[in-house]
Amino acid sequence: MLDVSRVQKELVECNRDKQISGVSILLHDGSHDLSHLTGSISGPVSSPYEGGTFTIDIRLPSGYPFEPPKMQFVTKVWHPNISSQNGAICLDILKDQWSPALTLKTALLSLQALLSAPAPDDPQDAVVAQQYLRDYPKFVSTARHWTEAFAKITSLGIEEKVQRLVEMGFPEDLVRSTLKSVNGDENLALEKLCSG
Amino acid sequence: MALDDDYASSSDLEEEDYYLSDQEEDAVEEDVLHGLEDDHIEECRWSESSVITKESLLAAQREDLRKVMDLLAVNEHHARTLLMHYRWDVERIFELLDQKGRDRLFSEAGVTLHKSNISLTVTVTCIICFEEVSPHASTEMDCGHRFCNDCWTGHFIVKINEGLSRRIKCMAPKCNTICDESVVRALVSVDHPDLAEKFDRYLLESYIEDNNTVKWCPSVPNCGNAIRVKGDAICEVECTCGMQFCFACLQEAHSPCSCLMWDLWMKKCRDESETVNWITVNTKPCPKCHKPVDKNGGCNLVVCICGQAFCWLCGAATGREHTWSNINGHSCGRFTEDQTKRTEDARKNLYRYMHYHNRYKAHIDSMKQEATLKETIQAKIAASENKDSSKIKDYSWVTNGLVRLFRSRRVLSYSYPFAYYMFSDEIFKDEMTPMERELRQNLFEEQQQQLEFNIEKLSGDLETNFHDISDEKIIETMGRVINTSAIVDGLCKKMGLFVITAYIGI
Ligand SMILES: [Zn+2]
Ligand SMILES: [Zn+2]
Ligand SMILES: [Zn+2]
Ligand SMILES: [Zn+2]
Ligand SMILES: [Zn+2]
Ligand SMILES: [Zn+2]
Ligand SMILES: [Zn+2]
Repeated sequence: MLDVSRVQKELVECNRDKQISGVSILLHDGSHDLSHLTGSISGPVSSPYEGGTFTIDIRLPSGYPFEPPKMQFVTKVWHPNISSQNGAICLDILKDQWSPALTLKTALLSLQALLSAPAPDDPQDAVVAQQYLRDYPKFVSTARHWTEAFAKITSLGIEEKVQRLVEMGFPEDLVRSTLKSVNGDENLALEKLCSG
Repeated sequence: MALDDDYASSSDLEEEDYYLSDQEEDAVEEDVLHGLEDDHIEECRWSESSVITKESLLAAQREDLRKVMDLLAVNEHHARTLLMHYRWDVERIFELLDQKGRDRLFSEAGVTLHKSNISLTVTVTCIICFEEVSPHASTEMDCGHRFCNDCWTGHFIVKINEGLSRRIKCMAPKCNTICDESVVRALVSVDHPDLAEKFDRYLLESYIEDNNTVKWCPSVPNCGNAIRVKGDAICEVECTCGMQFCFACLQEAHSPCSCLMWDLWMKKCRDESETVNWITVNTKPCPKCHKPVDKNGGCNLVVCICGQAFCWLCGAATGREHTWSNINGHSCGRFTEDQTKRTEDARKNLYRYMHYHNRYKAHIDSMKQEATLKETIQAKIAASENKDSSKIKDYSWVTNGLVRLFRSRRVLSYSYPFAYYMFSDEIFKDEMTPMERELRQNLFEEQQQQLEFNIEKLSGDLETNFHDISDEKIIETMGRVINTSAIVDGLCKKMGLFVITAYIGI
């Protein structure tokens, strides 16, 4: 069975220094299911992902932490080791190199490191990997473009959106996490909030 | 050089007398009887092998563990970890010990010998569950990594359920150490005795599954035995359950065919593409009645049994007035050299395949018939053994003859697919000159014929009604059966040798 107490401790521990680490974890859609979480990574400085915030869907199998967590990018990202189609991640510690002594935070930090240092020889997305190897400048500009288009919450107006949704009667925490999970799209957030 | 060899063996064959004189017969009889008693005397491609039953598996494993424990002065767990990693090849471990040295040998296999002797008195924090635990509720592995017992147990359970339990690594990131089997067993059996049992079974089965010289018998339903071979692993073995199989591909025994040949042949027989090919290449529908009509050589005007004439090249109805190169009042121009050649090639290939397949099939059919014979013959033996008027009580020569018959019949049958591939003018185009191929083929076919002749003879003698004939006649038959068995064995062996010298990778 899922080790609930460990997961709870992990959440507290991870979010304590989220300003510094740039990674954080919330319950998915503000629900109470500890086996479904939403992670968030800020794009590493001096990478094409700088300035972006990347949302990651996290599912914990019942054997967690003895089985690795399942992680997938929700935010579209242009990266050799992440599928541009569905956000699937190619990272050894999420597979056979997982160790129960690793945590969700270390896994997210590894993803952040992966954003800084792609491993195009072991690609998840062959198209991106090929571009990375053959036409690096073009890769950088595409990755940057995707970051602009998909990973930037227009902070302009975010408070107004929160305000409007809170006035509709939803709790503020939930509103913020929901808005975050849909990258600030107010209509999508409302849809999610209403469907519970 | 190969050519010379062929001449040599071919003349050997001619000089050899397969029909032994009476004086020689007795000597052979003794030899054969001796041979039949000894299970280890097998024809070529039959490496020496032994059967490991469920019961003897543990003992076989113990023996290897003991050797490694004694020579390296390690405990059972470390010996097993080494043996699993090096695929239960004791000699290789000793070899590598020289080459790599003890430290590398051990670390590559995941054996860590360091063990801290600090006895803890204060509580420790398990970095997996973040709980404070007392020292006795936690366990340190050989590598020095300590976690709480609950976490270890959780880890072991997941690994055992994943079926990876033979090599459970330590939980610390990037630590290569294999967890001590006694710790695994002790912790898991507290709440999950069933899983602990499963773990022990996996450890036991590793002896077969992580071992290049041992394989499970592939019999269906499964007999649970395993076979260990000494020497060449490209060989055929027989399990005590009666299953004879190829140790390399685990299919039924298929000598003299190589694994690849056998695989190709089975596929070929299955999809009958040749037949389909034949119909499409060799027949055309009549434009009037639509029956398939085949062209038996000759010119391109064909006539259907309904009487309709038509042009073979375009299939259009025509009159019958024609010359070799054209049909009166018909011009189609579809004739090309290429088409004709393709048709001829396909026809040639098909006839070739049919030639070999028919003979292969005929012997398979005989084999099936003879298999049903087994019971009849055994009943006859039982009856004869109880016959008061006869002094002959020992009929083991019949049973032994039957074993020879079955095996040689199979070799004979499978020698046809072998020949089909071996003497194809395409596959070994570069390895053999046409002349060389013809020589080899002639020699091979000569052996096949002799084998066939003697098998039929053996089969005939084994079907004798021992019940109805005099003791003298029985003794006569026994002499013939034993004699022919020896000849058949010799020929199978020769065919095997032939195959090995002719082996060129397919
Ligand atoms: Zn623990
Ligand atoms: Zn360790
Ligand atoms: Zn068997
Ligand atoms: Zn085989
Ligand atoms: Zn017709
Ligand atoms: Zn004609
Ligand atoms: Zn025509």
